[in-house]
Amino acid sequence: MNLSHHLIIAPILVPLATGALLLLIDERQRTVKALVGLGSTLLLFVVALGLFRFAASIDGPEAAQQGVYLLGNWAAPFGIVLVVDRLSALMLVLTATLAIAALIFALARWHTAGAHFHSLFQFLLMGLNGAFLTGDLFNLFVFFEVMLAASYGLLLHGSGLLRVKAGLHYIAVNLAAALLFLIGVSLIYGVTGTLNMADLAVRVSTVGPEQRMLLEAGAGILGVAFLIKAGMWPLNFWLPPAYTAASAPVAGIFAIMSKVGIYVVLRLSLLVFGHDSSASSGFGLHVLLVGGLATITFGAIGVLASQALGRLAGFSVLVSSGTLLTAIGMGSAGITTGALFYLVSSTLTISAFFMLIELVERGQDAGASVLAVTMEAYGDADPDEEEQEGDLGFAMPGTMAVLGICFAACGILLAGLPPLSGFVAKFAMLSAMLNPIGGDTTATIPGYVWFVVFLVILSGLAALIAMTRSGIRTFWASMEGTEPRVLVIEVAPVFLLIAATLYLTVQAGPVMRFMDDTTRALTTPQQYIEAVFDARRAGVPGTEVQP
Amino acid sequence: MPEYLLLLLLVLPFAGSLAIASLLRTAARTLPSWLAGGVALLATILTASYYPSVTNGKVVRYEIAWLPELGLNFTLRLDGFAWLFTMLVTAIGFLVVLYARYYMSAEDPIPRFFSFLLAFMGAMLGVVLSGNIILLSIFWELTSIFSFLLIGYWYHNANARDGARMALTITGIGGFCLLVGFLLIGHIVGSYDLDRVLASGDIIREHPLYLPALVLILIGALTKSAQFPFHFWLPNAMAAPTPVSAYLHSATMVKAGVFLLVRLWPALSGTFEWFWLVGFAGISTLLLGAYFAIFQRDLKGLLAYSTISHLGLITTLLSLGSPLAAVAAIFHMVNHATFKASLFMAAGIIDHETGTRDMQKLSGLFRYLPYTASLAMVACAAMAGVPLLNGFLSKEMFFAEAVETHADSILDQALPYIATLAGAFSVAYSIRFIHTVFFGPPPTDLPKPHPHEPPRWMRFPVESLVFACLIVGIVPGLSIGPFLHTAVLSVLGPETPYYSLAVWHGFNLPLVMSIVAMLGGAALYFALHNYLARCEDGPPIFRHLRGQRIFERILVTVSWKWARWLETNIGTRRLQPQLRIVAVVAFLAAFLPLHLSGFDAKLPPVRGVDPAFVMLWIIGMLSALAAAFLAKYHRFAALLLIGGSGIVTCVTFAWLSAPDLAITQLLVEIVTTVLLLLGLRWLPKRLDKIDESATFSARLRRLRDFAIAVACGVGMSILAYTVMTLPVPDTIANFFLERAYSEGGGRNVVNVILVDFRGFDTMGEIAVLGIVALTVFALLRRFRPATESIGLPEQQRIQNAYDDAQPERNKGDTVRDYLFVPSVVMQWLFPVVITFAIYLFMRGHDLPGGGFAAGITMAIAFLLQYLAGGTRWAEDRLRILPLRWIAFGLLIAAATGAGSWFFGYPFLTSHSQYLTLPLIGKVPTASALLFDLGVFSLVVGATVLILIAIAHQSIRTYRVKAAPKTEDA
Repeated sequence: MNLSHHLIIAPILVPLATGALLLLIDERQRTVKALVGLGSTLLLFVVALGLFRFAASIDGPEAAQQGVYLLGNWAAPFGIVLVVDRLSALMLVLTATLAIAALIFALARWHTAGAHFHSLFQFLLMGLNGAFLTGDLFNLFVFFEVMLAASYGLLLHGSGLLRVKAGLHYIAVNLAAALLFLIGVSLIYGVTGTLNMADLAVRVSTVGPEQRMLLEAGAGILGVAFLIKAGMWPLNFWLPPAYTAASAPVAGIFAIMSKVGIYVVLRLSLLVFGHDSSASSGFGLHVLLVGGLATITFGAIGVLASQALGRLAGFSVLVSSGTLLTAIGMGSAGITTGALFYLVSSTLTISAFFMLIELVERGQDAGASVLAVTMEAYGDADPDEEEQEGDLGFAMPGTMAVLGICFAACGILLAGLPPLSGFVAKFAMLSAMLNPIGGDTTATIPGYVWFVVFLVILSGLAALIAMTRSGIRTFWASMEGTEPRVLVIEVAPVFLLIAATLYLTVQAGPVMRFMDDTTRALTTPQQYIEAVFDARRAGVPGTEVQP
Repeated sequence: MPEYLLLLLLVLPFAGSLAIASLLRTAARTLPSWLAGGVALLATILTASYYPSVTNGKVVRYEIAWLPELGLNFTLRLDGFAWLFTMLVTAIGFLVVLYARYYMSAEDPIPRFFSFLLAFMGAMLGVVLSGNIILLSIFWELTSIFSFLLIGYWYHNANARDGARMALTITGIGGFCLLVGFLLIGHIVGSYDLDRVLASGDIIREHPLYLPALVLILIGALTKSAQFPFHFWLPNAMAAPTPVSAYLHSATMVKAGVFLLVRLWPALSGTFEWFWLVGFAGISTLLLGAYFAIFQRDLKGLLAYSTISHLGLITTLLSLGSPLAAVAAIFHMVNHATFKASLFMAAGIIDHETGTRDMQKLSGLFRYLPYTASLAMVACAAMAGVPLLNGFLSKEMFFAEAVETHADSILDQALPYIATLAGAFSVAYSIRFIHTVFFGPPPTDLPKPHPHEPPRWMRFPVESLVFACLIVGIVPGLSIGPFLHTAVLSVLGPETPYYSLAVWHGFNLPLVMSIVAMLGGAALYFALHNYLARCEDGPPIFRHLRGQRIFERILVTVSWKWARWLETNIGTRRLQPQLRIVAVVAFLAAFLPLHLSGFDAKLPPVRGVDPAFVMLWIIGMLSALAAAFLAKYHRFAALLLIGGSGIVTCVTFAWLSAPDLAITQLLVEIVTTVLLLLGLRWLPKRLDKIDESATFSARLRRLRDFAIAVACGVGMSILAYTVMTLPVPDTIANFFLERAYSEGGGRNVVNVILVDFRGFDTMGEIAVLGIVALTVFALLRRFRPATESIGLPEQQRIQNAYDDAQPERNKGDTVRDYLFVPSVVMQWLFPVVITFAIYLFMRGHDLPGGGFAAGITMAIAFLLQYLAGGTRWAEDRLRILPLRWIAFGLLIAAATGAGSWFFGYPFLTSHSQYLTLPLIGKVPTASALLFDLGVFSLVVGATVLILIAIAHQSIRTYRVKAAPKTEDA
């Protein structure tokens, strides 16, 4: 067995081991903790890049099998499998990118605002990576739980009344979602007798009509669980308050959490209910379309109605989710390609924006005072918990100018204006909707497509109006010239993420080709299924091998 | 000239912008201006040197593949028309930079200004040079963004902020529409390449999507060019520094709209829809703009409305769809850029020297600024269309076209009269500009009392432009002629008509119209003269109907009031409605597929079931119902009842031959119930009785919630029953049963599944448990109980009161003693329970038990000690480091899994054999046992950590700052 094959499980094991190790390090040794956490996160990024390069080179069944990891050396569908393909590798890289940015940001001050930040952060990464890698439905549940449990802790990180209130709402709703997840998985298992996704995809087509409706009921309940996570209207009212209340670096990494729901919906709907899966083909797509449109509408309205930047960002998450659900619900490969690009772009944007907001509001009295009150009332004021600013970086020169540039970039990205990747993403989706290049130029455009285009454009406009309104209020209209004290390591992550969107723009061609390959792999799941079943076990394990 | 230099031409301004931006504020004033000027000059020279490559309809193309799959490439394309426009953008850009060098004051942050200005120039060049319509829309939006930044340059001024925002909103909306319009064009043509689009005019015009595409593109172009009814942003944009106005609102930004109309003229024009849409916008703008301009008090306001009007003139020309009109349009674009830029600069000089732009304050400046005044007068005359100046020529062409019949309709027939009228207005405001500002008595109460001529080089740009007006006006054929011809040829191609640029065309109808307009305008001005000297700002009647205010009001209503109303009405911030929706949606998600497929619910058979089992379940169900009923009013009772239904579940497992589940469930029930009970201490006291005074709506709400709960519960039961009684499919369970011993090395299949077949799940789940413990710990560490919960619990108060009442007892005796016997028993049970835990652990692989059950048992041992002796007592005697237990548990589990790597197997591959130990006998030593040890350790750690976190609350209340002793981190 090739040693590099074990790289597939590294994105799960590295944060697990690091998280556990960090528990052994005294809470007071912050620098050590920070360095260990950062080292692990950087390692994760390298691993993710390695897997990405591998996934991008998958060109046939042989290579696809290499991307399947049989845990416990049990063949599918009996054991649990991890599968690296283009989509999962893409999500891993995205997660690692956000993680680096959020962690660096947290090192400036936030990581000392409560207990076990670094451990929880690593566990969150473990849950995210596991959810992206696993090829097993119950294992997906487990990693959802890992991710959610860690997110409960992280959301409450920093304490304060607002956070606890929003956090408890978040916990309640997500526990309900977890319950539905379990019910759904049980129903599906009860009908098909399998938990392996690839096996499920095969068995779905052989299920009789009596069982099919039960299967669909199970899939429906399961879908509700994912859609709660993804933030589809009307299951998303918990999301903006929770994301707004989270501390900046936590919100920064939470940007990918709603995308986990999207990821699973995309993965499962194409794998299990993809084109050639008999009677259930296309199950629930219209729900995604309608729900997605409702979500865009609600998100855009929320964006317009938000006074505080935090809520604006929270509703932007919904706009992003709604757009993605709509695009998936339209069920066309070209649109999915654009949607994948949009997924990456909007996740980077929202993450950067959440972190930026804290820096921007630090300069404003209201924001600063809230923070101060939080620290004072709930911060225990332990002598060893005082902030240690300046230890890890120096203050930023020309702060307002730099923040202003970042803010403008975020606004441009959110509104989908050129020249950053938000535009490319929007263009790719709209272009695929209206104008399949090389397609039939005389074909009429169906009415619902017009509606989708209208809403997508309108949501961009809403973002533009809201962002100019708050940008002007923040950067132009505030008369008092108090520059917030912002460290370089707090701006650097925001820059990093914006630079990533710039990279996406410049490299739009290759990136879009990759997304196109990803879509092709998703819409023709045969290769995925075969790879999972044909993956070879290593020797025959058991008593004859001496330890 | 090599093609790739086109890229340089485009990149140059952006690079310059970045360079200047990086200078920050430390830089001197001079360097940024020199840089900007250098870049603009270089760009001008570069453009000029491309001229030989574009004559006679030649086109320079340079393409970089960007997103070829989607038809979006970085295509640059320079033809004659683009060349002419590039020349305008770069040359006037250079003059503006030179002018701004002197105009901007020392307090202004110069680098920011020039940085934005150059970036804007780059964006504008991008619009002009784009050879792909999507690329064009990209640069189009960029011009909106940078113009926003330029207009808002003096952002401390509220007008600048509002003006900038309005400009961005309007042009941004236009940009979005334009993009969709271009996408539709792409749909029609099958390509976004400009050459393909221009060659497909007939296909486009006959396509059913022509009208939507046209409307969308026109919204884009008309918003940018400030055409009626989108014109109102332009006057508000005058809050920008004057160099910005001179640049954006003469040669560039607003010209982008008409540029686009010319660019797409071959592809879109010539239809009835085109004539009506473009014509209506153009003609109304032409007339209204000119009319409004007369009544402005602000010099720049006058120029702004005049710009609107002249753009309307160009739009009108383009609407006519005749090649000759297109020639006139292109010609007028150039002419307007020259005279309007110079006028803005002159206005800026006046503002700069006197401190005001209010025409009711300005007067008689000729005596102070004779030179500037002369220049402004020539430019004004060009604007009014006085012969021997460039404005005259294109206006004559316009009149000639207005007379012709193009699309027979009322609009077309009215055009000559409207044109003459607008011409008269234009003359009137031109005269007003000259007459009020430069003539009349010396000004009184100027903010700056001693105006004088500006520096030599500040005048130079004005001089150059006015010189150009004169040259073009006097010898058009020799000066602008060839360039115009090149431009026209590139747009019209074979359709290029014959036209003459001669100054004298004989005494014809257009000349008559000109004369009428001249005389009429002059008469109008002198009739209004006295009124204008006193009147309020803005035209009569219309001044109350402000586009700006309407826009603001709509924006606030839609984007704020309606949005907030909608947000609160289609969303909620409360938890209960959200959970209700989740329940309903989940119910529907299961119900609809079943209902649509005609699901036939089967109820469980009544006969043949053991009555004892039925009784058991009735008890369980009643407990659950009672728990739900009491949950809000009596938490303690509710918890106990939940425990009751939990026990029933345990018994059911045992009944159905699942001892493993039964044991685990029992242990989990014990621990969770105890922990919850401990937590109850910190919740506010229960409500004693159900609120009877509930209103009708509250009762209705409860009834609805009850119905939802019943529907979900019954539905779930039916669903579960149906699935569980399905004929067993070929499940993976069979595989587990067959292989558990042969390959997993254990007889307890459940345990083998947990530690081997699906050991990875277990690893994840123990991680969840550990994380939850950490979260509880982190949350409770900062926990501050509600004030009503801080006092002693009622029981302790009663006990203490009893102690107080008895003289021989000390306070606290009862609290200590009332559980004396049980606590001794509990203390003595400690070793017994631990032994039991070890026993459960060791037998796990073959018989019911295992790491999880053992871990919980172990935790119960600790729990008992805390209960028996209290937190302090327990912690004095036991040093538990739960964080280490958690960490070791996870690490052992992970290390065991990783161990199989050394033997060439994947993670968590297990190995098993039996080992014979002295005294104990045969012991299974599967590697899974080690993994189970990890599970054990973690479960102990996590449970105890939660226990400690809760237990320490009772210490804290007495001493708020008590540091948790056992916290090892």
